[in-house]
Amino acid sequence: MSLIQIKGLKKSFQGNQVIKGLDFKLEKGKCIALLGPNGAGKTTTLRMLSGLMKPTEGSISFSEAKKDGDIRHLIGYLPQFPVFYDWMSGFEFLQYVGKLAGLTSKEAKERSLKLLELVGIIDAKNRRIGKYSGGMRQRLGIAQAIINRPQLVILDEPVSALDPFGRREVLELLERLKKETTILFSTHILNDAEEVCDEIIFLHNGEIVESGTMDDLRERHQQAKIDLIFHRKTEGMERTFRTHSLTKSILVDGNRISVFVTNVESARKEFLKLIYEKEWQLDKFEVSSMTLEDVFMKVVGK
Amino acid sequence: MSQWMTLFNKEVLEMWRNFKWIWVPITFILLGVSEPLTSYYLPQIIKSVGGLPEGAIFEMPKPTAGAVLASGLSQYSTFGVLVIVLGTMGIIAGERKNGVAAMILVKPVSYFSYVTSKWAGSLLLVWISLFIGYISTWYYTGQLFDWVPIGEFFQSFALYGLWLTVILTVTVFFSAALLSPGLAGFISLALALIVSILSGALSHLLEWSPSQLTSYAGALLTGGKLPSDTMPASLTALLLIVLFLWFSVFLFKKKELAA
Repeated sequence: MSLIQIKGLKKSFQGNQVIKGLDFKLEKGKCIALLGPNGAGKTTTLRMLSGLMKPTEGSISFSEAKKDGDIRHLIGYLPQFPVFYDWMSGFEFLQYVGKLAGLTSKEAKERSLKLLELVGIIDAKNRRIGKYSGGMRQRLGIAQAIINRPQLVILDEPVSALDPFGRREVLELLERLKKETTILFSTHILNDAEEVCDEIIFLHNGEIVESGTMDDLRERHQQAKIDLIFHRKTEGMERTFRTHSLTKSILVDGNRISVFVTNVESARKEFLKLIYEKEWQLDKFEVSSMTLEDVFMKVVGK
Repeated sequence: MSQWMTLFNKEVLEMWRNFKWIWVPITFILLGVSEPLTSYYLPQIIKSVGGLPEGAIFEMPKPTAGAVLASGLSQYSTFGVLVIVLGTMGIIAGERKNGVAAMILVKPVSYFSYVTSKWAGSLLLVWISLFIGYISTWYYTGQLFDWVPIGEFFQSFALYGLWLTVILTVTVFFSAALLSPGLAGFISLALALIVSILSGALSHLLEWSPSQLTSYAGALLTGGKLPSDTMPASLTALLLIVLFLWFSVFLFKKKELAA
């Protein structure tokens, strides 16, 4: 069931159109990544979804919005650079935000402690936020975004500012969150999206250039390529693959032969049989899987 | 209501943590009390810095207690206003500028509560500071000169509080309407100044102007009677407070939070 439907979403700043008409749906319980280079319009899109900005044109409809269109009880939002009251402690801030979101004092307290534990800053709960490190602020930011168990959690570049360790931990946190709620997060780091997301929306210059599940994308952009690495390469091998009926073209690089084929499935069988029969010493056989980076370069490049 | 109280408590706590609860009342005490002290000790002060030239006869009439109290009170309409404007100008603009307002208002927080709780927090600070400062002034005036009737004290206190509330509300309004705390402060001060000067100069035309409340309070202390224009001026003040507060919420609601 779709949680949100976005139709013809446009946004202009002083006549400069930044978002040029987006249409997409978010399904309940999915994790969706909004990918794109800097300036693609990711932050603007997320701000419109969270209600912080009004679209110039188009509609964002939540299936469970209130009658007056207020959707704030349904979402949790973490901006790219979260700001807190630095004079509060992390624990105080979470309780404050929890109570604002409608929890009772007791609920807010319990929920805050649980979340501090979950995001791993329980030891710093009574320290002033002004003294938190960047990673701790980001975690506190995630905790405050999910305090009222929102149906949709919107995270703007949640891992971009973190070091590799912090990044890993936040991604694991997202992995866990995924089981409870719908997540929409933006990033320009392709690996992050690939790691935790089910679906991907590519944004470029304010337009969706590609979208779908990881499998869809792979299928669509899969290049039929087989990488072979031999222990010792001979002239005969190169010639054999070059003239094979399934081969479109080959690339040779040291002991590696990359063969672009017309049909991966039959090439896999044929090649293995061939190598076995000729008793070539094979080190590695790989049917290349398309990475997001390849897709990204491909869709953005044109 | 509980959400409003949560917001309001946060305001009070914040003012405690950044020591506003200490320095604003102390400033108000110093501003007010300095008046009876200097009036009383002026002859000694003049003597101790060398005195008057030989032969100069300078009879200093002892001021009445009411006049001393009135001039102590008038400090609040100049320096007090400055303290209030400077302390309040960032109340909304500051939070919007640094982004914390966006963090709070993506939660289901009512805009009305957000603005009015901030206003109410500052209101409490202003009235309490004014009360502490003014009652200290009243006490010292009583000790050094004469006791001004407590009824007159409370009446003049209420009139001044009302005028300062107008200033406070106008500052909150510009803080909600503009993104820059400095600009909000500047405009509020300029406006307060212009209104005071205009109302003073054209007092026969603008007797209902809320800034006249300060001179009516002075008139009460020196003359013992409230001018008849106090009522319309108070009503204008109340009306302005309600209007500016309402416009603050209205404008704030219409603004996009992410700049």
